[in-house]
Amino acid sequence: MSLIFKLSWRNLFHDRLRFVATVIGIVFSIVLVTVQMGLFLSFDRMVTTMIDHAPADLWIVPLGTKCFEDPSLVDERERFRALSINEVTQALPIVIGFAQWRLPSGGTTPVFIVSSDTRVGGLHPWNLVEGSLADLAVPGAVAIDQSYFDRLGTKGLGANAEIRDQKVEVTAVTKGIRAFTTTPYVFTSLDQARAYVGTPPNKATYFLVRLAPNANVEGVRSRLRTILSESEVLTPGEFRSRSRSFWLFGTGAGAALFAGALLGIIVGTVIVAQTLYSSTKDHLYEFATLRAIGSPGMYIHKVIIVQALLSAIIGFCMAAGIGLIIVDATAESALPLLMTPMMSVGLFLLTVVMCVLSSISAIVQVMRIDPAVVLMR
Amino acid sequence: MTKAVMEAVDVAKILGHGAGQVQALRGVSLVLAGGELTLLMGPSGSGKTTLLSILGCILSPTSGAVRVCGQSTAGIQPEDMARLRREHVGFIFQSYHLFPTLTAIDNVRLALDVRGQASRSAIAKTKEALAAVGLSNKMKSFPRELSGGEQQRVAIARAIVGNPSAILADEPTSALDSENGQAIMKVLAQIAKDQARGVLVVTHDPRIFPFANRIVRIEDGRIVGEEKGRAGFN
Repeated sequence: MSLIFKLSWRNLFHDRLRFVATVIGIVFSIVLVTVQMGLFLSFDRMVTTMIDHAPADLWIVPLGTKCFEDPSLVDERERFRALSINEVTQALPIVIGFAQWRLPSGGTTPVFIVSSDTRVGGLHPWNLVEGSLADLAVPGAVAIDQSYFDRLGTKGLGANAEIRDQKVEVTAVTKGIRAFTTTPYVFTSLDQARAYVGTPPNKATYFLVRLAPNANVEGVRSRLRTILSESEVLTPGEFRSRSRSFWLFGTGAGAALFAGALLGIIVGTVIVAQTLYSSTKDHLYEFATLRAIGSPGMYIHKVIIVQALLSAIIGFCMAAGIGLIIVDATAESALPLLMTPMMSVGLFLLTVVMCVLSSISAIVQVMRIDPAVVLMR
Repeated sequence: MTKAVMEAVDVAKILGHGAGQVQALRGVSLVLAGGELTLLMGPSGSGKTTLLSILGCILSPTSGAVRVCGQSTAGIQPEDMARLRREHVGFIFQSYHLFPTLTAIDNVRLALDVRGQASRSAIAKTKEALAAVGLSNKMKSFPRELSGGEQQRVAIARAIVGNPSAILADEPTSALDSENGQAIMKVLAQIAKDQARGVLVVTHDPRIFPFANRIVRIEDGRIVGEEKGRAGFN
């Protein structure tokens, strides 16, 4: 086995304090990137979670809708027009909107109402941990997520509160349905949703279109577009993409996350570059000796790159460990961090690229070494 | 006549720039023959180390020609200079320049590693080289665990392990006591004798005269004298 690995390893551990500084730099950088990207992934899922869980083939949405939480209205006539097409089997109204939830302790907090009509199907709460969908049919019944119990001042199933001066009772509890806006989602029947957000009976926010099996989605969509004058027809993919681009980029939230991640990468690169540079400087006479005994330039470069890679592997393992702890700690919170296998692979590659790029300054330094210095000393 | 392993013809070298310029060598010609131990002697600043660096392909001459095993060094790139050093030259330095984080065996093996020899036979060659300098029992020792003489012997093993045509030693005994200095010179003389290599030793230590086949004197960048050493009469 070549001595490159041994030489790199020993060089790295020769000055333990500097090695610790290198690893801390990498860990700091990668944990920062993990948090930013974990939040981005989490937000990405949150902003499309309702669309992801709605069994729609197409969505009829008000003209210019930017995201799911955009509470403009479509007239009921659009629904009937849609139903006039043979392949359209259902056009289910969905009503959403903000309302005030009166806390038992006094005062109010905003909630986001989502209609869920259990009689006709459509968008229902998922991940029910207490209660059932059937319980939502009871007048005044609502479903809320357990992560918002404190915000809503409830203790869960059976708790009472008021929305728009109307008494509500928590009859179902979900787990993990969180909103990007941090305003809790409250599922309730269509009629109650209309009452809570003040939507007239002949209006709805969306119509969730379901098609007959084997229907040509693109064909139906084209026909819907020609007959619907006051609304747009979107595929779930398009609706997701609009929501994503509005929340993550239109509001600047995504850009802020990417800027944070970029900052982490820059800080990490600078720290690793600095420590590798100073390590190389400390071992300059050794590298000059290698050069004097005829070492090819590439051999010395490999020693430095292997040092960078070793730092990357050790730093990444520690950062990934910390990242997993953060993911676990935030799993039940209103702002959970996500870490997917793909993201882990990406972060590892990022760490490697960051460390190898950092070694450039050290490599440039050894390229300038004059082997004659070993004869002068 | 023994074969020339290194040859300098009318070599001049100017070091530095502008007002700090120094003419280190002025028309030096020297042949280093195989099987011979040559001492290069002269006072400080006489150009000994500069000549050694040029012969060892570390520096290029300002004018004149250098041939290493018949190959001219004129106009060649730093990587090709490194290749010439790798293939034909073994260096021994005054301050040993061992790697403090590597054991004796790894320090010696490094010279083969940079040549791309990392097989088991490389380890066998390394052990042979350490045995040749009498350090079979110190293979696993780190430089800090070795005396100055032992460290210099590790450096000699590193220089010879790649079987180069020439060994260039820069003041190899100056940091050693008399006993260790004599021991090192015996090893170097043996290397030149037994393996038909050219050995050039830069020194101003008169105690090592008895080991030389030839003594070349240099002053102010010029060869000012050449004589046979005592070993040359044997």
